[in-house]
Amino acid sequence: MNNLWILNMGFVALLIGTGIYCLLTMKNAVKLLIGLEIIAKGVTLALVASGYARNNILAAQSLAITVIVVDVAVIATALAIIININRHTKSLDVRKLTKLKG
Amino acid sequence: MHLFLMIGLVAFSILAVLTRDLLRSAICLAVASVFLALVFFRMNAVYAGVFEVSVVAGLITVLFITAIALTRGDQEVAENKHHMLVFPFFFLFLIVFDILVMRKLLGRIPAIAGSEAGTFGEVLWNQRTFDLVGQIGVIFAGVLAVLALFRQGENPRKGDTTLPGGQPQGGSSHE
Repeated sequence: MNNLWILNMGFVALLIGTGIYCLLTMKNAVKLLIGLEIIAKGVTLALVASGYARNNILAAQSLAITVIVVDVAVIATALAIIININRHTKSLDVRKLTKLKG
Repeated sequence: MHLFLMIGLVAFSILAVLTRDLLRSAICLAVASVFLALVFFRMNAVYAGVFEVSVVAGLITVLFITAIALTRGDQEVAENKHHMLVFPFFFLFLIVFDILVMRKLLGRIPAIAGSEAGTFGEVLWNQRTFDLVGQIGVIFAGVLAVLALFRQGENPRKGDTTLPGGQPQGGSSHE
């Protein structure tokens, strides 16, 4: 059971590393949100894998569902902001977001 | 089987990052969510798996595709040319670092706690009541934020448009 937990944590680290790489290198605003989503997947997997290893799967699931709900709200709001920014700048490039003026 | 599902999850996540087309990226993300849900089902986390499939693979993918469709034509963003070359080295470094850290952790994990009693509903309602209230608040905050962002501005009346200097443009003439 512990070895399975360590294997899961290894994959969690890979997921979070991939998401951080996406956040650091990409310039497309939608791609940045995809990176954020991959990090959220890693966090959810870490919660459920830890609950499974400690025989606390019910509490871990409830926490994972909380993370998923918060993630949906964040993604919906961020996509709405991106669409509004796209109406102003006609681009998804985050380097063009240099003005606070509307 | 578990290893295969995990490799599929990481592989589709990497594809979602590296693919240039945003629509393909969103679909790769949905497939990765399905792999994650299968992992949850194998860990007896049925409710988390159902949420992962329905909300993340369903709702979030629909949101992404809607946003991509609404911003069609403006998606050409000049990315860094070297990120496709750098990523394999970064990923290799990550795997080596990961293996080294996880080898240190072997045998240091505490013993397994006793199993919990009750059903998922009892645990969710009795232990995480405030989380549920917080989730309802987060959902309402998200809905209100989206409504506020998509609110149409008041249409200016004809003749009330002003020039940058503040002079009225058109409208009633004084002569």
